[in-house]
Amino acid sequence: MTRSPMLVARDLRKDYPMNGEVVHALRGASLTVEPGEFVAIVGPSGSGKSTLLQIVGGIDPPSGGSVELLGTRLETLNDRALTHLRLTRLGFVFQRFHLLPVLTARENVELPMAEAGLRGARRRERARQLLEYVGLGHREGHRATQLSGGEMQRVAIARALANRPAILLADEPTGELDAATGREILELFRRLNRDGTTLLVVTHDERLAAQAGRVVHMLDGRIAAETTAP
Amino acid sequence: MTGLVWGLKSLGRHPLRTALSLAGIAVASAMLLDMVMLSGGIEKSFSELLLARGYQIRITPKGTLPFDTEGSIPRTSEVVRTIRAEPGVEAAGAVLGTAVYGRTRDSLVTLFGYGIQPEAQGIYQVTAGADLAPGDTLGILLSETAAGLLHTSIGDTVTLAGRLDPQIASASVDRRLVVRGLVRWIYDHRGQPSVGTVLPVMQRLGRDAAADPGSLLLVKAADDRAVDNLAERLRERFPALEVNSVAELVVQAKRRLVYFTQLAYVLGGMSLIVAVLLVATLLTITVNERLGEIATLRAIGVSRGTVVRQVLAEGVALTVLGSAGGILLGLATAEYLDAILTSFPGLPATFSFFVPRADTLSLAALVLLLTGSLAGIYPAWLASRAPIAATLRAEAT
Repeated sequence: MTRSPMLVARDLRKDYPMNGEVVHALRGASLTVEPGEFVAIVGPSGSGKSTLLQIVGGIDPPSGGSVELLGTRLETLNDRALTHLRLTRLGFVFQRFHLLPVLTARENVELPMAEAGLRGARRRERARQLLEYVGLGHREGHRATQLSGGEMQRVAIARALANRPAILLADEPTGELDAATGREILELFRRLNRDGTTLLVVTHDERLAAQAGRVVHMLDGRIAAETTAP
Repeated sequence: MTGLVWGLKSLGRHPLRTALSLAGIAVASAMLLDMVMLSGGIEKSFSELLLARGYQIRITPKGTLPFDTEGSIPRTSEVVRTIRAEPGVEAAGAVLGTAVYGRTRDSLVTLFGYGIQPEAQGIYQVTAGADLAPGDTLGILLSETAAGLLHTSIGDTVTLAGRLDPQIASASVDRRLVVRGLVRWIYDHRGQPSVGTVLPVMQRLGRDAAADPGSLLLVKAADDRAVDNLAERLRERFPALEVNSVAELVVQAKRRLVYFTQLAYVLGGMSLIVAVLLVATLLTITVNERLGEIATLRAIGVSRGTVVRQVLAEGVALTVLGSAGGILLGLATAEYLDAILTSFPGLPATFSFFVPRADTLSLAALVLLLTGSLAGIYPAWLASRAPIAATLRAEAT
């Protein structure tokens, strides 16, 4: 029995206006991600990595091409359905963490679960478990502003895992961290993948890319090459 | 729930800014509250004042209001007897208002004299001592101020003089009376030195007693529902007199005070607009500051509806907190302004301009709540429409 791909992106194009000119951020990029894979997307700045991630994550519509996630064509979904899909099937990790500074670490992790309708005690319990998983059980009551960069990113990862996503999308997750902290996040990603989480990570970090099972090289809005780990 | 917590906690992100906004909302709410109390307060206070002793009908000389002029009703005793004989009348009494003078050791003190029928009176309440008995031609009632001016207390004898001749500064009539009690005259202004005797005594002191004059007649109907009907019958019976029910007098007063009401509405409306602008401005600023956060929330699957509810909740929270302060401020301001306004000469001391009423206060609270929600609509729309990808890109650079 063959497994269906988790994600299939076909001939994606993205144009947007900037200072009166049209920028071609993607010029026909195609990508397939299988369940359980750890895929890294690398390339120079402006090559379209983040745009590709945003389009396959359903937060930016493509100018052309299509995205199929878990058998669902994203272009067929309205905003409400797309939002629900992001909430329940996708996890996002951003370069700048984007935690809510007025909430505690646990409340930040609880937020997507609250939105998904998970109630009080079960939600708190799962948030605690996730914070334990990322090594921050002792910091659950601290506000985001009281955490270090590495801690904030780990909370962001816990938040991304809150609703048991099918795939975790990360955009430069170590971009704001020093080398040592970056290594901790790298290790966390490896552990996540070993535990069955599918990962699609945009990165400049060669060490992080080296951990991936497959590396997709982008250049000028296209997939220039793909390398698979031996 | 956590989403709502986020919305409310966001208010604490800039404590000083939020505090200043709350202070602004409190001031606007206080003004709205005062204007609401003012718009209906005069009417309510006036009505309560007139009905203080339960007399629902006033009869005065034609074309005048009680104590408006020196005009008087002739043959008062006969008119009162006729009214008391009318079906549906529980009580009726006459009042004469006139200037009299109290003798002290070396001078005369100007007093306001009430001639009353103690068995049917609606203009005073005894605060100390005893009331006058009907036909007590030797007794007198004093206000606290009058007692102070005459240096007398209950049981003392005072001398009243009447019909002063300005040419020779001498009174034509003198009367020695015993102080029976101290009273609060309901229609007196603050500090008014008033005295009261039975009607015939005051008629002799102040007017031509033979004409049996009265300034005002008070009538109490046995049934509140029959007041209009009784007033109509009395109007037909006494076409030369002005017959008004309290409800009609309130309408007349409202007509006279229409500018007050309009002013209250205009100022209340303006304070409401100020409150809306304050809340809308603060929310728009905070939403613009938090567009990155909002885009992140949208990216991780938080719905537009949740974002809208959060911003609206912030607006409502701001309004509720601000209004809570506004109520305290408004009540304190109303008390202060009331003290100033009721100190104007000629106004009864018990009259009030700012009267808190449950219905109008509830309406003001509801309007404020709606205001808070309305003020949040534009910022909430702004937040829910934030382009996710573009905002995240802008945040990353």
